[in-house]
Amino acid sequence: MIRTFAEFTTRLDRFIRANMPLSGNEIRTPAQDHDFGELALSLFALQYGSVPAYRNFCDIRHVTPGSVADWKQIPPVPARAFKEFDLTSLSAAERTHAFHSSGTTGQKPGRQFHDAASLACYEQSLVPWFRAHLLPDEPPEIGLVVLTPSPADAPHSSLVHMAETIRRSFNWRFSEFVAGVDADNAWVLHSEVGVETLRGAQGSGLPVLILGTAFSFVHLLDHLAAGDRDVRLPDGSRVMETGGYKGRSRMMPKDELHELIARRLGVPPSHIVCEYGMSELSSQAYDRAAGHRAPRFNASTLQRPFRFPPWARARIVSPETGMLVGEGETGLIQVFDLANARSVMAIQTEDLAVLRADGFELMGRAQLAEPRGCSLMTAAPR
Amino acid sequence: MTLPNYFIADLPPEAEISASMIHDACLTLKRNRERYLAGRSTQSLLERLGEIAGNWLQPDYALRKLALERSPRDTGFSPATLASGLDSFFSKITPENLNALLVQELGHAERLDRFVSTPVEERSGRSALAAGPTLLVHVAAGNLPLPALMSLVLGLIVRSAQFLKCASGASLLPRLFAHSLYEVEPKLAACLEIAEWRGGRAELEQPLFEHADRVTVTGTDETIAEIRRKLPARIRLLDYGQRASFGFITRDLLTSHEAKQLAGKAAGDIAAWNQLGCLSPHLFYIEAGGVVSPEQFAELLAAQMARLEEAEPRGPIPAADAAAIASRRAFYEVRAASSPDTRLWQSDDSTAWTIVYEADPGFQLSCLNRFVYVKPVKDLGEALHAAETVRGKVSTVAIAAPENRAQEIAITLARWGVARLCPIGRMQQPSLLWRHDGRASLGDLVTWIDCER
Repeated sequence: MIRTFAEFTTRLDRFIRANMPLSGNEIRTPAQDHDFGELALSLFALQYGSVPAYRNFCDIRHVTPGSVADWKQIPPVPARAFKEFDLTSLSAAERTHAFHSSGTTGQKPGRQFHDAASLACYEQSLVPWFRAHLLPDEPPEIGLVVLTPSPADAPHSSLVHMAETIRRSFNWRFSEFVAGVDADNAWVLHSEVGVETLRGAQGSGLPVLILGTAFSFVHLLDHLAAGDRDVRLPDGSRVMETGGYKGRSRMMPKDELHELIARRLGVPPSHIVCEYGMSELSSQAYDRAAGHRAPRFNASTLQRPFRFPPWARARIVSPETGMLVGEGETGLIQVFDLANARSVMAIQTEDLAVLRADGFELMGRAQLAEPRGCSLMTAAPR
Repeated sequence: MTLPNYFIADLPPEAEISASMIHDACLTLKRNRERYLAGRSTQSLLERLGEIAGNWLQPDYALRKLALERSPRDTGFSPATLASGLDSFFSKITPENLNALLVQELGHAERLDRFVSTPVEERSGRSALAAGPTLLVHVAAGNLPLPALMSLVLGLIVRSAQFLKCASGASLLPRLFAHSLYEVEPKLAACLEIAEWRGGRAELEQPLFEHADRVTVTGTDETIAEIRRKLPARIRLLDYGQRASFGFITRDLLTSHEAKQLAGKAAGDIAAWNQLGCLSPHLFYIEAGGVVSPEQFAELLAAQMARLEEAEPRGPIPAADAAAIASRRAFYEVRAASSPDTRLWQSDDSTAWTIVYEADPGFQLSCLNRFVYVKPVKDLGEALHAAETVRGKVSTVAIAAPENRAQEIAITLARWGVARLCPIGRMQQPSLLWRHDGRASLGDLVTWIDCER
């Protein structure tokens, strides 16, 4: 029986080490379901006991640690609830760090709180799964170019923290954040700095790893296209692309974006890895390992399924009934993330995905229906 | 039953629509109008329309049967929902009602046939004729099947050639209506074209707009803005953008007997067309201080929704719409777990219906498909203050008020900026004579020719 968070993180640490993905072609999953379930149930008990808003939510559903025998019965809290409640077991004084969800202007962001120990837990989850997908060939040296502001400019962004963790963990000689923030704290890509940085890499022959959101790539590519310029990044360069557009640049279908990255930056689609993550989670899912053929590629949807690491599980449930969907069916993504130690492990996202044998495919905007109708609509309730 | 390929929308899905098809169709429409429609008398057209409506009201009418059969797949509505919608719509399409519409809109039933005078015009020695546009283009929203039919009826009355562009997958009812016109009088149907494509295809829309004399657009504000940008300046655009509607129930009527009846009618308003139209309520403001409290009213409403689900089930909806409901429910569930100011009632094991009670009166837009908010207010003033965020965007307010307060409430709402008031239970059944978004229906289509003696 695990009684404290400290005990839990020790056990999780052991679990992660035992299920550490091997680099290269073989990414070993899934882990022993039994071990995962045991840890999940222990963590649920701890969180039920120490996160009041979550406990209230479980009580209303008549679910308690005593009544749950299977981790799949743990109630997932909607990601949106992070905007309204402090879903954390950390006292106000213990909260040394907070990640904010990116929201629309004027809306309260969701907040994920951390202390040093829970940040360590987050990083421990992040690094091995990142390495398995972005650095499967273990390059001795690579230049890191991040299309986001620096940690000093965006201290509450989980994506920026992720990049910073990667930078610190691998300690490469070259790294650069090439965006800033404007007066409203919106991210602004310094496109020319980005281009110059990439050109420097091209000149020196050092392969680079570019991390950025889809919209920051669109800005960078538009900037190159405006001057009709290309960069030919050295062989072994790779890209991690994440996140939606949220109205910050023109929308671009994924295959078109990847084609343009290949054409303008010289990084082939086989080296472009998509990441699925959110500030409410501590683990991330990826859709391929850089440089590897992706046998899982689905030609009809132009998608590859995403997978979380063995210490986080995704379930795709019917929005209509809440029941697990069958393979090939569409549903909402729930994530049970053991690395979410000090907040809530079970998260109900608002993202739709199609269940595949070995992961889930995100539903792109284009696959959703044509907007229609004359009734006023809004995305989020206040 | 398979339909002959008479309209562009009849072509098989793999057939590509081209700019030249649009161009040719517009030329043909104009030519046919000149030949078959421009010289027709209003009365003969009204009689034809009455005849067609009569056909649609027959339970064994082949096109009606086809519409009901295909409805769940093509419109998303159950056969029962569509049947009651068809009955309610076509029973209003009679020569008498259409005459009344002409008199209301144009002052005289023969205004489109010859120079005529109202008594007022007579006294000032004037007469006038009204004429419809040569080619009237409609861009229809895809959410509800019937409003496009009303547009076609109005266009026919003013003797316009018409091109109806439907949203992708939303042409079934207009097509069947056009075929019913063809059956009765092929020459009239020859003045009509129906096509569907996903909005925004400039290569098709540009030739269409170049031929148009007047354009009506129903849809999202974004769609309207985009079409406005593309339209040649000479064209008058009649735009019907996004609107929201709500209900207001006074404390005087919240006795236990009346509250239950009102809850039944409100449930009908929510269920009608699965709440997808702009006349459907997002929210009900309930005055506090009645025998039945606002919270109790929410509970009564939930019971009525459950009852209605049995009689007129909502039916399946797209995954994204169900996801929107599931996400909101989960959010309110968390809120309700931590505060008595939020309560939630919902269908079991489905997203069929949801009632959210919140003590905070701030106006909240619904995600639709039978998801509604109930909020307490101390009076109408507080409701309107709370609804300031949607001011100018409200189509209909349904009211339940005693006689002695009704006029004052109506005037307050009118001055605040509401286009239509109606009793609870009638939100989705506007009169044939209603003025959509506060604007004249026939009146907005025509051009006047004045003659002074």
